Amino acid sequence: MSAQHPIREEDLELLALGVIDGEECRDLRAHIASCAECAGNFAAAQGRVALFAFAAPPQNPSSGARERLLEKIRAEKASIAKTPSEKLTLSAARPAIRWWNSFWIPATAILAIATVLLWINDRRMDDQLQRMREAEQMFEGEMQHQRALVSLLAAGDTKAVSLSSTQKISNDWARVHYNSRMGMVCYTGDLPAPPPHKEYEMWIVPMVGNPISAGAFMPASFNKGRACIAKMPEGVTCKSFAVTIEPMGGTSRPTGPEVLSGAEF
Amino acid sequence: MNRAQGTENGASDWSLLGRVVRKDESALAALYDRYSGLVYAESIRILRDTGAAEEILQDLFFQIWRTAEKFDPERGSLPGWLLVAARNRCISRLRRRDSRPNDELTETSVVLPCNLESTAAQNQLLGRVKKALGSLPNGQREVVELAYFEGMSHSEIAGRTGAPLGTVKTWIRTAMDALKRELT
Repeated sequence: MSAQHPIREEDLELLALGVIDGEECRDLRAHIASCAECAGNFAAAQGRVALFAFAAPPQNPSSGARERLLEKIRAEKASIAKTPSEKLTLSAARPAIRWWNSFWIPATAILAIATVLLWINDRRMDDQLQRMREAEQMFEGEMQHQRALVSLLAAGDTKAVSLSSTQKISNDWARVHYNSRMGMVCYTGDLPAPPPHKEYEMWIVPMVGNPISAGAFMPASFNKGRACIAKMPEGVTCKSFAVTIEPMGGTSRPTGPEVLSGAEF
Repeated sequence: MNRAQGTENGASDWSLLGRVVRKDESALAALYDRYSGLVYAESIRILRDTGAAEEILQDLFFQIWRTAEKFDPERGSLPGWLLVAARNRCISRLRRRDSRPNDELTETSVVLPCNLESTAAQNQLLGRVKKALGSLPNGQREVVELAYFEGMSHSEIAGRTGAPLGTVKTWIRTAMDALKRELT
Protein backbone atom coordinates (compact mmCIF):
# COMPACT_ATOMS: atom_id res chain seq x y z
CA MET A 1 0.00 0.00 0.00
CA SER A 2 1.33 3.48 -0.73
CA ALA A 3 0.24 6.72 0.93
CA GLN A 4 -2.03 9.05 -1.04
CA HIS A 5 -1.16 12.69 -1.56
CA PRO A 6 -1.93 14.90 0.19
CA ILE A 7 -2.14 12.78 3.35
CA ARG A 8 -5.23 13.65 5.41
CA GLU A 9 -4.62 15.95 8.38
CA GLU A 10 -6.09 13.44 10.84
CA ASP A 11 -3.82 10.65 9.56
CA LEU A 12 -0.81 12.92 10.04
CA GLU A 13 -1.92 13.58 13.62
CA LEU A 14 -2.32 9.85 14.31
CA LEU A 15 1.13 9.24 12.84
CA ALA A 16 2.59 12.01 15.04
CA LEU A 17 0.87 10.49 18.06
CA GLY A 18 2.49 7.15 17.19
CA VAL A 19 -0.67 5.05 17.15
CA ILE A 20 -0.26 3.96 13.53
CA ASP A 21 2.12 1.04 13.14
CA GLY A 22 3.27 -1.55 10.64
CA GLU A 23 3.10 -1.10 6.88
CA GLU A 24 0.78 1.91 7.04
CA CYS A 25 3.29 3.76 9.24
CA ARG A 26 6.19 2.93 6.89
CA ASP A 27 4.21 4.09 3.82
CA LEU A 28 3.23 7.39 5.41
CA ARG A 29 6.77 8.09 6.60
CA ALA A 30 8.22 7.25 3.18
CA HIS A 31 5.80 9.65 1.50
CA ILE A 32 6.51 12.46 3.99
CA ALA A 33 10.25 12.02 3.43
CA SER A 34 9.78 12.69 -0.28
CA CYS A 35 7.00 15.33 -0.25
CA ALA A 36 7.65 18.87 1.01
CA GLU A 37 3.94 19.74 1.30
CA CYS A 38 3.10 16.71 3.44
CA ALA A 39 6.31 17.22 5.46
CA GLY A 40 5.12 20.75 6.30
CA ASN A 41 1.67 19.47 7.26
CA PHE A 42 3.31 16.75 9.39
CA ALA A 43 5.37 19.39 11.24
CA ALA A 44 2.12 21.20 12.11
CA ALA A 45 0.45 17.91 13.15
CA GLN A 46 3.43 17.13 15.41
CA GLY A 47 2.99 20.56 17.00
CA ARG A 48 -0.71 19.98 17.74
CA VAL A 49 -0.03 16.52 19.17
CA ALA A 50 2.88 17.82 21.29
CA LEU A 51 0.39 19.92 23.25
CA PHE A 52 -0.81 16.73 24.93
CA ALA A 53 2.41 17.10 26.96
CA PHE A 54 0.52 19.75 28.91
CA ALA A 55 -1.67 16.96 30.31
CA ALA A 56 1.30 15.94 32.49
CA PRO A 57 1.20 17.35 36.04
CA PRO A 58 3.50 20.41 36.22
CA GLN A 59 6.88 19.58 37.76
CA ASN A 60 10.25 21.31 37.82
CA PRO A 61 13.66 19.61 37.73
CA SER A 62 15.96 20.02 40.72
CA SER A 63 18.22 23.08 40.84
CA GLY A 64 21.14 20.63 40.77
CA ALA A 65 20.17 19.57 37.25
CA ARG A 66 20.55 23.17 36.03
CA GLU A 67 23.93 23.50 37.73
CA ARG A 68 25.18 20.22 36.24
CA LEU A 69 24.20 21.35 32.76
CA LEU A 70 25.98 24.69 33.17
CA GLU A 71 29.07 22.95 34.55
CA LYS A 72 29.06 20.60 31.58
CA ILE A 73 28.95 23.43 29.05
CA ARG A 74 31.63 25.38 30.94
CA ALA A 75 33.86 22.31 30.84
CA GLU A 76 33.24 21.98 27.10
CA LYS A 77 34.01 25.67 26.55
CA ALA A 78 37.23 25.31 28.55
CA SER A 79 38.37 22.26 26.58
CA ILE A 80 37.77 24.07 23.27
CA ALA A 81 39.65 27.14 24.49
CA LYS A 82 42.56 24.98 25.66
CA THR A 83 43.19 23.18 22.38
CA PRO A 84 44.62 26.11 20.32
CA SER A 85 47.01 27.20 23.08
CA GLU A 86 48.41 23.68 23.28
CA LYS A 87 49.07 23.79 19.53
CA LEU A 88 50.76 27.16 19.94
CA THR A 89 53.06 25.80 22.63
CA LEU A 90 54.06 22.83 20.49
CA SER A 91 54.76 24.90 17.41
CA ALA A 92 56.85 27.33 19.44
CA ALA A 93 58.86 24.52 20.98
CA ARG A 94 60.29 23.26 17.70
CA PRO A 95 62.04 26.50 16.65
CA ALA A 96 63.30 26.94 20.23
CA ILE A 97 65.29 23.73 19.87
CA ARG A 98 66.84 24.97 16.63
CA TRP A 99 67.76 28.31 18.24
CA TRP A 100 69.38 26.47 21.12
CA ASN A 101 71.63 24.60 18.74
CA SER A 102 72.56 27.60 16.59
CA PHE A 103 73.05 30.63 18.86
CA TRP A 104 74.29 31.71 22.24
CA ILE A 105 72.58 30.84 25.47
CA PRO A 106 71.77 34.52 26.31
CA ALA A 107 69.94 34.90 22.98
CA THR A 108 67.79 31.92 23.82
CA ALA A 109 67.06 33.36 27.26
CA ILE A 110 66.03 36.71 25.74
CA LEU A 111 63.74 34.90 23.35
CA ALA A 112 62.19 32.95 26.24
CA ILE A 113 61.63 36.16 28.21
CA ALA A 114 60.08 37.83 25.17
CA THR A 115 57.82 34.82 24.70
CA VAL A 116 56.68 34.99 28.32
CA LEU A 117 56.04 38.76 28.04
CA LEU A 118 54.06 38.23 24.85
CA TRP A 119 52.10 35.45 26.50
CA ILE A 120 51.29 37.68 29.50
CA ASN A 121 50.25 40.47 27.16
CA ASP A 122 48.12 38.02 25.19
CA ARG A 123 46.38 36.89 28.38
CA ARG A 124 45.68 40.51 29.34
CA MET A 125 44.19 41.20 25.92
CA ASP A 126 42.07 38.03 26.16
CA ASP A 127 40.76 39.16 29.55
CA GLN A 128 40.06 42.63 28.21
CA LEU A 129 38.26 41.17 25.18
CA GLN A 130 36.17 38.93 27.42
CA ARG A 131 35.17 41.89 29.61
CA MET A 132 34.22 43.88 26.49
CA ARG A 133 32.10 40.95 25.22
CA GLU A 134 30.30 40.73 28.54
CA ALA A 135 29.70 44.48 28.55
CA GLU A 136 28.38 44.27 24.98
CA GLN A 137 25.96 41.49 25.93
CA MET A 138 24.72 43.47 28.93
CA PHE A 139 24.30 46.54 26.76
CA GLU A 140 22.46 44.56 24.08
CA GLY A 141 20.12 43.09 26.70
CA GLU A 142 19.45 46.50 28.21
CA MET A 143 18.75 47.94 24.75
CA GLN A 144 16.20 45.19 24.05
CA HIS A 145 14.55 45.92 27.41
CA GLN A 146 14.38 49.66 26.71
CA ARG A 147 13.11 49.19 23.14
CA ALA A 148 10.30 46.93 24.33
CA LEU A 149 9.43 49.45 27.03
CA VAL A 150 9.39 52.41 24.62
CA SER A 151 7.26 50.57 22.03
CA LEU A 152 4.74 49.62 24.73
CA LEU A 153 4.53 53.08 26.28
CA ALA A 154 4.39 54.84 22.90
CA ALA A 155 1.51 52.74 21.53
CA GLY A 156 -1.76 54.69 21.41
CA ASP A 157 -3.83 51.80 22.72
CA THR A 158 -1.62 51.07 25.77
CA LYS A 159 -3.59 51.37 29.00
CA ALA A 160 -2.35 52.28 32.48
CA VAL A 161 -3.63 50.96 35.78
CA SER A 162 -2.58 52.09 39.27
CA LEU A 163 -2.34 49.48 42.01
CA SER A 164 -2.55 50.44 45.65
CA SER A 165 -2.09 48.57 48.88
CA THR A 166 -4.89 46.42 50.15
CA GLN A 167 -3.94 47.62 53.65
CA LYS A 168 -4.88 51.25 54.21
CA ILE A 169 -1.89 52.04 56.44
CA SER A 170 0.65 51.12 53.76
CA ASN A 171 2.04 53.42 51.03
CA ASP A 172 3.08 50.55 48.75
CA TRP A 173 2.11 51.06 45.13
CA ALA A 174 2.59 49.86 41.58
CA ARG A 175 1.69 51.10 38.14
CA VAL A 176 0.95 48.75 35.25
CA HIS A 177 0.98 49.54 31.54
CA TYR A 178 -0.48 46.90 29.26
CA ASN A 179 -1.40 46.43 25.65
CA SER A 180 -3.56 43.43 24.76
CA ARG A 181 -2.93 43.85 21.05
CA MET A 182 0.86 43.72 21.51
CA GLY A 183 0.59 41.04 24.21
CA MET A 184 2.86 43.02 26.54
CA VAL A 185 2.68 44.25 30.10
CA CYS A 186 5.18 46.29 32.15
CA TYR A 187 5.09 47.38 35.73
CA THR A 188 7.01 49.35 38.29
CA GLY A 189 6.38 50.59 41.80
CA ASP A 190 7.63 50.55 45.35
CA LEU A 191 7.40 47.54 47.63
CA PRO A 192 9.35 46.43 50.73
CA ALA A 193 11.37 43.21 50.76
CA PRO A 194 9.07 40.15 50.83
CA PRO A 195 9.26 37.60 53.68
CA PRO A 196 12.18 35.09 53.52
CA HIS A 197 11.95 32.50 50.69
CA LYS A 198 9.08 34.46 49.09
CA GLU A 199 8.68 36.60 45.98
CA TYR A 200 6.02 38.96 44.70
CA GLU A 201 3.97 37.82 41.71
CA MET A 202 1.96 40.08 39.35
CA TRP A 203 -1.41 38.76 38.16
CA ILE A 204 -3.55 39.76 35.21
CA VAL A 205 -7.19 39.19 36.13
CA PRO A 206 -9.06 38.72 32.84
CA MET A 207 -12.76 39.43 32.35
CA VAL A 208 -13.21 35.71 31.76
CA GLY A 209 -11.18 32.89 33.28
CA ASN A 210 -8.51 32.49 35.95
CA PRO A 211 -5.79 35.01 36.81
CA ILE A 212 -2.77 34.83 34.50
CA SER A 213 0.74 35.22 35.89
CA ALA A 214 2.77 38.16 34.56
CA GLY A 215 5.89 37.00 36.36
CA ALA A 216 7.39 36.71 39.82
CA PHE A 217 9.80 39.44 40.87
CA MET A 218 11.87 40.83 43.72
CA PRO A 219 11.75 44.52 44.66
CA ALA A 220 15.32 45.00 43.34
CA SER A 221 14.08 44.53 39.76
CA PHE A 222 10.97 46.60 40.33
CA ASN A 223 11.50 49.62 42.61
CA LYS A 224 13.09 52.98 41.82
CA GLY A 225 11.75 53.34 38.31
CA ARG A 226 13.11 50.03 37.02
CA ALA A 227 10.31 48.30 35.08
CA CYS A 228 9.61 44.59 34.71
CA ILE A 229 8.40 43.55 31.27
CA ALA A 230 6.44 40.39 30.60
CA LYS A 231 4.40 38.92 27.80
CA MET A 232 0.68 38.42 28.16
CA PRO A 233 -1.72 36.43 25.98
CA GLU A 234 -2.79 38.60 23.05
CA GLY A 235 -6.40 39.79 22.94
CA VAL A 236 -7.11 39.24 26.64
CA THR A 237 -9.55 41.77 28.12
CA CYS A 238 -8.22 42.73 31.57
CA LYS A 239 -10.55 43.36 34.45
CA SER A 240 -7.89 44.22 37.02
CA PHE A 241 -4.35 43.55 38.22
CA ALA A 242 -3.09 42.27 41.56
CA VAL A 243 0.20 41.48 43.33
CA THR A 244 0.45 38.57 45.76
CA ILE A 245 3.24 37.06 47.86
CA GLU A 246 4.18 33.60 46.57
CA PRO A 247 6.92 30.98 47.04
CA MET A 248 10.24 31.60 45.21
CA GLY A 249 9.84 31.01 41.48
CA GLY A 250 6.15 31.93 41.47
CA THR A 251 3.07 29.77 41.05
CA SER A 252 0.53 29.12 38.30
CA ARG A 253 -2.40 30.24 40.48
CA PRO A 254 -2.45 32.90 43.23
CA THR A 255 -2.05 31.21 46.62
CA GLY A 256 -0.59 33.89 48.92
CA PRO A 257 -1.93 37.12 50.40
CA GLU A 258 -2.83 39.96 48.05
CA VAL A 259 -0.75 43.07 48.76
CA LEU A 260 -1.68 45.36 45.86
CA SER A 261 -4.67 45.58 43.56
CA GLY A 262 -6.13 47.94 41.04
CA ALA A 263 -8.59 48.13 38.19
CA GLU A 264 -8.90 50.31 35.12
CA PHE A 265 -11.56 53.03 35.41
CA MET B 1 10.90 29.68 36.15
CA ASN B 2 8.42 32.50 36.40
CA ARG B 3 10.76 35.40 36.76
CA ALA B 4 10.05 38.59 34.89
CA GLN B 5 13.65 39.69 34.87
CA GLY B 6 13.44 42.14 32.03
CA THR B 7 15.91 41.33 29.31
CA GLU B 8 16.05 37.52 29.28
CA ASN B 9 12.32 37.28 29.85
CA GLY B 10 11.58 39.52 26.88
CA ALA B 11 14.14 38.00 24.49
CA SER B 12 12.73 35.73 21.81
CA ASP B 13 13.84 32.10 21.47
CA TRP B 14 15.48 33.03 18.19
CA SER B 15 17.57 35.81 19.71
CA LEU B 16 18.61 33.55 22.62
CA LEU B 17 19.56 30.79 20.17
CA GLY B 18 21.68 33.31 18.27
CA ARG B 19 23.56 33.98 21.48
CA VAL B 20 23.89 30.24 22.18
CA VAL B 21 25.55 29.90 18.76
CA ARG B 22 28.08 32.51 19.99
CA LYS B 23 28.55 30.29 23.09
CA ASP B 24 26.80 32.58 25.56
CA GLU B 25 25.92 30.28 28.45
CA SER B 26 23.52 32.81 30.02
CA ALA B 27 21.35 32.51 26.88
CA LEU B 28 21.24 28.73 27.22
CA ALA B 29 20.38 29.16 30.90
CA ALA B 30 17.51 31.47 29.90
CA LEU B 31 16.16 28.88 27.44
CA TYR B 32 16.53 26.22 30.12
CA ASP B 33 14.61 28.35 32.63
CA ARG B 34 11.91 28.91 30.01
CA TYR B 35 11.34 25.32 28.91
CA SER B 36 12.93 22.86 31.36
CA GLY B 37 9.73 22.62 33.42
CA LEU B 38 7.68 21.62 30.36
CA VAL B 39 10.19 19.04 29.17
CA TYR B 40 10.79 17.63 32.64
CA ALA B 41 7.06 17.32 33.46
CA GLU B 42 6.54 15.39 30.21
CA SER B 43 9.60 13.17 30.77
CA ILE B 44 8.79 12.33 34.38
CA ARG B 45 5.19 11.51 33.41
CA ILE B 46 6.49 8.99 30.86
CA LEU B 47 9.45 7.52 32.75
CA ARG B 48 8.37 8.03 36.40
CA ASP B 49 12.08 8.23 37.25
CA THR B 50 13.55 11.60 38.28
CA GLY B 51 17.15 10.62 37.48
CA ALA B 52 16.32 9.38 33.98
CA ALA B 53 14.10 12.39 33.28
CA GLU B 54 16.85 14.82 34.34
CA GLU B 55 19.36 12.94 32.20
CA ILE B 56 17.18 13.33 29.11
CA LEU B 57 16.60 17.01 29.95
CA GLN B 58 20.34 17.57 30.20
CA ASP B 59 21.10 15.70 26.98
CA LEU B 60 18.58 17.78 25.03
CA PHE B 61 19.85 21.14 26.28
CA PHE B 62 23.46 20.05 25.78
CA GLN B 63 22.52 19.12 22.19
CA ILE B 64 21.13 22.65 21.74
CA TRP B 65 24.39 24.03 23.14
CA ARG B 66 26.49 22.03 20.69
CA THR B 67 24.36 22.34 17.56
CA ALA B 68 22.25 25.51 17.95
CA GLU B 69 23.52 26.79 14.60
CA LYS B 70 21.65 23.96 12.86
CA PHE B 71 18.27 25.09 14.14
CA ASP B 72 16.15 26.81 11.48
CA PRO B 73 13.27 28.82 13.02
CA GLU B 74 11.51 28.83 9.63
CA ARG B 75 11.02 25.08 9.94
CA GLY B 76 9.62 24.91 13.45
CA SER B 77 9.74 26.07 17.03
CA LEU B 78 12.26 25.23 19.72
CA PRO B 79 9.74 24.17 22.43
CA GLY B 80 8.00 22.01 19.83
CA TRP B 81 11.27 20.25 19.03
CA LEU B 82 12.06 19.86 22.74
CA LEU B 83 8.68 18.28 23.53
CA VAL B 84 8.77 15.87 20.57
CA ALA B 85 12.42 14.90 21.04
CA ALA B 86 11.95 14.38 24.81
CA ARG B 87 8.89 12.21 24.24
CA ASN B 88 10.64 10.11 21.58
CA ARG B 89 13.69 9.54 23.79
CA CYS B 90 11.61 8.74 26.88
CA ILE B 91 9.39 6.26 25.04
CA SER B 92 12.42 4.69 23.42
CA ARG B 93 13.94 4.22 26.86
CA LEU B 94 10.66 3.09 28.41
CA ARG B 95 10.17 0.41 25.78
CA ARG B 96 13.84 -0.53 25.83
CA ARG B 97 14.39 0.17 22.18
CA ASP B 98 18.07 0.01 21.34
CA SER B 99 18.06 2.53 18.54
CA ARG B 100 18.10 6.20 19.48
CA PRO B 101 15.40 8.25 17.67
CA ASN B 102 16.66 10.50 14.90
CA ASP B 103 15.98 13.86 16.50
CA GLU B 104 18.77 16.10 15.28
CA LEU B 105 17.76 19.77 15.23
CA THR B 106 17.87 19.67 11.44
CA GLU B 107 15.83 16.47 11.10
CA THR B 108 12.76 17.08 13.25
CA SER B 109 10.43 19.95 12.38
CA VAL B 110 7.63 20.77 14.80
CA VAL B 111 5.36 23.78 14.29
CA LEU B 112 3.45 24.65 17.45
CA PRO B 113 0.09 26.38 16.96
CA CYS B 114 0.97 28.91 19.67
CA ASN B 115 3.88 30.85 21.14
CA LEU B 116 5.15 29.46 24.46
CA GLU B 117 7.88 32.02 25.18
CA SER B 118 6.12 33.51 28.20
CA THR B 119 5.06 31.84 31.43
CA ALA B 120 1.63 33.42 31.04
CA ALA B 121 1.14 31.79 27.62
CA GLN B 122 2.31 28.42 28.99
CA ASN B 123 -0.10 28.70 31.93
CA GLN B 124 -2.97 29.64 29.65
CA LEU B 125 -2.26 26.70 27.33
CA LEU B 126 -2.04 24.36 30.31
CA GLY B 127 -5.57 25.42 31.26
CA ARG B 128 -6.87 24.92 27.74
CA VAL B 129 -5.39 21.43 27.32
CA LYS B 130 -6.71 20.38 30.73
CA LYS B 131 -10.13 21.74 29.77
CA ALA B 132 -10.08 19.84 26.45
CA LEU B 133 -9.06 16.56 28.10
CA GLY B 134 -11.40 17.19 31.02
CA SER B 135 -14.31 17.30 28.60
CA LEU B 136 -13.62 13.67 27.63
CA PRO B 137 -15.05 10.68 29.51
CA ASN B 138 -12.47 8.82 31.66
CA GLY B 139 -12.04 5.92 29.22
CA GLN B 140 -11.31 8.20 26.29
CA ARG B 141 -8.83 10.27 28.28
CA GLU B 142 -7.04 7.09 29.36
CA VAL B 143 -6.69 6.01 25.73
CA VAL B 144 -5.03 9.32 24.78
CA GLU B 145 -2.67 9.07 27.74
CA LEU B 146 -1.69 5.52 26.80
CA ALA B 147 -0.91 6.75 23.28
CA TYR B 148 0.96 9.91 24.23
CA PHE B 149 2.70 8.96 27.46
CA GLU B 150 3.30 5.25 26.88
CA GLY B 151 3.79 5.31 23.11
CA MET B 152 1.19 2.60 22.43
CA SER B 153 -0.27 1.97 18.99
CA HIS B 154 -3.98 1.53 18.25
CA SER B 155 -3.74 -2.25 18.48
CA GLU B 156 -1.65 -2.19 21.68
CA ILE B 157 -4.20 0.11 23.35
CA ALA B 158 -7.04 -2.18 22.26
CA GLY B 159 -5.12 -5.12 23.77
CA ARG B 160 -4.47 -3.26 27.03
CA THR B 161 -7.97 -1.80 27.56
CA GLY B 162 -10.05 -4.56 25.99
CA ALA B 163 -11.89 -1.95 23.88
CA PRO B 164 -12.55 -2.81 20.20
CA LEU B 165 -9.94 -1.44 17.78
CA GLY B 166 -12.51 0.75 15.99
CA THR B 167 -13.59 2.29 19.30
CA VAL B 168 -10.01 3.08 20.23
CA LYS B 169 -9.52 4.85 16.88
CA THR B 170 -12.73 6.85 17.34
CA TRP B 171 -11.80 7.89 20.89
CA ILE B 172 -8.39 9.13 19.81
CA ARG B 173 -9.87 11.15 16.95
CA THR B 174 -12.44 12.60 19.37
CA ALA B 175 -9.65 13.67 21.72
CA MET B 176 -7.69 15.32 18.89
CA ASP B 177 -10.84 17.16 17.79
CA ALA B 178 -11.51 18.34 21.36
CA LEU B 179 -7.96 19.68 21.60
CA LYS B 180 -8.20 21.47 18.25
CA ARG B 181 -11.58 22.98 19.18
CA GLU B 182 -10.13 24.32 22.41
CA LEU B 183 -7.15 25.88 20.62
CA THR B 184 -9.09 27.62 17.85
